[in-house]
Amino acid sequence: MRVRDIDKEKLVIANAIDQIVQDGFQGFSMNKLAKACNISVGTLYIYYKDKDDLIQKIGATVALEFFSSTIQNFSPEMSFEEGLWIQWINRADFTMKYPKQVAFFEIIKHSPHGEIILNSTTKFSDFRMIMKQFIDNALHNKEISPMTFEAFWAVAYGPLYTLLNFHTDGKSMGGKPFVLTDTIMKEAFQATIKALKP
Amino acid sequence: MDIDLNTVHIFKTNIGKIDTGCAMYHELNNHDAIRQWSIDHEDIDCVLRVVSESLQPNQIITLISEFGHQCRELI
Repeated sequence: MRVRDIDKEKLVIANAIDQIVQDGFQGFSMNKLAKACNISVGTLYIYYKDKDDLIQKIGATVALEFFSSTIQNFSPEMSFEEGLWIQWINRADFTMKYPKQVAFFEIIKHSPHGEIILNSTTKFSDFRMIMKQFIDNALHNKEISPMTFEAFWAVAYGPLYTLLNFHTDGKSMGGKPFVLTDTIMKEAFQATIKALKP
Repeated sequence: MDIDLNTVHIFKTNIGKIDTGCAMYHELNNHDAIRQWSIDHEDIDCVLRVVSESLQPNQIITLISEFGHQCRELI
């Protein structure tokens, strides 16, 4: 009688993320993963059909965790400045708390698995709707200037991700040691708000 | 919905490639007792995964062997 072992499942997910972040998809295999988890490869196949199925299931789990974290304490009805700041805080918290998950998510995003994962559940379109509503409200209330969606996204989140990348690397331009603080984040945020205002 | 783990059967095989027109593919696809099946062709063990509530591993082994393939349970 097989019983679902949540700890074992968590171990598999953690090791898979580790191996994919370290070696990429090419260097990753079900056999290697089973060995790292100290389980038989047969056990691994009980949970996942094959390597792609495993990558997509774990990818969807991580993506859901990430998107759920971005909307904590957030409502699309908030003023643009308040809502965007909460999004910044949430995205920064997740990145600092789970750097490996974020690195894994980045690899997935740039692979053919990305689209399959995003289409695997309607939950992702729910997140898109929340963000669309937030941006529509901001436009309607004339809190931001109308612009191409991609241009908006680059300005609204680009500065944050640049800072987070510096933080994750522990250094900024020219190898200068760097730690992201609230003050620096707020400084970049104010500049971002200014740039988006009509 | 989570799958009942006791209905998942895993086998090491020598099924390198499976033609969608072949008899074994047809048999696995249309077998009343098989809810889901897949073969990982990327894996060295060509792992066959069968989800079935009623079939026992030895019955699946017999079924695959009848098509001239090797098949043994991976535990």
